[in-house]
Amino acid sequence: MPLAPPRTAGYNSLVLPVTQAIRVKVLLFGRLKELTGYCEDSIELADATTIERLFALYSARHPELAKYRSSVVASRNQEFAAWETALRAGDEVAFLPPVSGG
Amino acid sequence: MPALPHDDIYQLVREPIDMVALASRVRAPEDGAIVTFDGFVRNQSHNRATLYLDYEAYESMAIAKMREIGDQLHEKYRIHRVAIVHRLGRLEIGETSVFIAVSAPHRAAAFDACRFAIDTLKRTVPIWKKEYFVDGAVWADGELPPVPAATLRAKPAS
Repeated sequence: MPLAPPRTAGYNSLVLPVTQAIRVKVLLFGRLKELTGYCEDSIELADATTIERLFALYSARHPELAKYRSSVVASRNQEFAAWETALRAGDEVAFLPPVSGG
Repeated sequence: MPALPHDDIYQLVREPIDMVALASRVRAPEDGAIVTFDGFVRNQSHNRATLYLDYEAYESMAIAKMREIGDQLHEKYRIHRVAIVHRLGRLEIGETSVFIAVSAPHRAAAFDACRFAIDTLKRTVPIWKKEYFVDGAVWADGELPPVPAATLRAKPAS
């Protein structure tokens, strides 16, 4: 059986894995905006946080958001984006309810 | 890539839409037809009398998506110019919320393109309407835009 790497303290042990903090802009529209009471926010995240995780963070702040997860799509920098998309510094993410223009 | 059309019009406006002016702006001597679509506020929704509608948009993305629709029209159909204009804010019964005009040398392409444009707009452009009734208001049922499947992108070369 392979041995787990020793967890004894080396001099690096106090250094956390290097994850840079990034800031992203978050936009909410339609009923999501009404629910949270704001349409624009800015949040600090670990680099490469996914859109899914970001939505979960907002759902933790506003539990009512969670039930809209399946009827929301996300965009990153004005393009529709998969929930697995990893975010980068300066990204603009929007959570969009079903669209009803026209 | 087709030559970029420079006379197309993509706008979000808060004033009444001047349909006559827009139709004349897509009209050119080499064309033989213009097909227009005028979408306006209906006086009822699901058998409830509507008082008025309020439209909002993710404006920067909505304009980008409207342009994308125009680009698709030029790729798919033999058309000349496109105008797509959507109004935002409070709209009364009968007021035009969306107007599309497509000019072409021949009518078939203009009809097809105009139909494609409104159908795609309703599915992909981030605009929302809230319907106001005597006894309350609701966000209109909408369509969930198609989202690209997750792709595992290679990290940019460092």
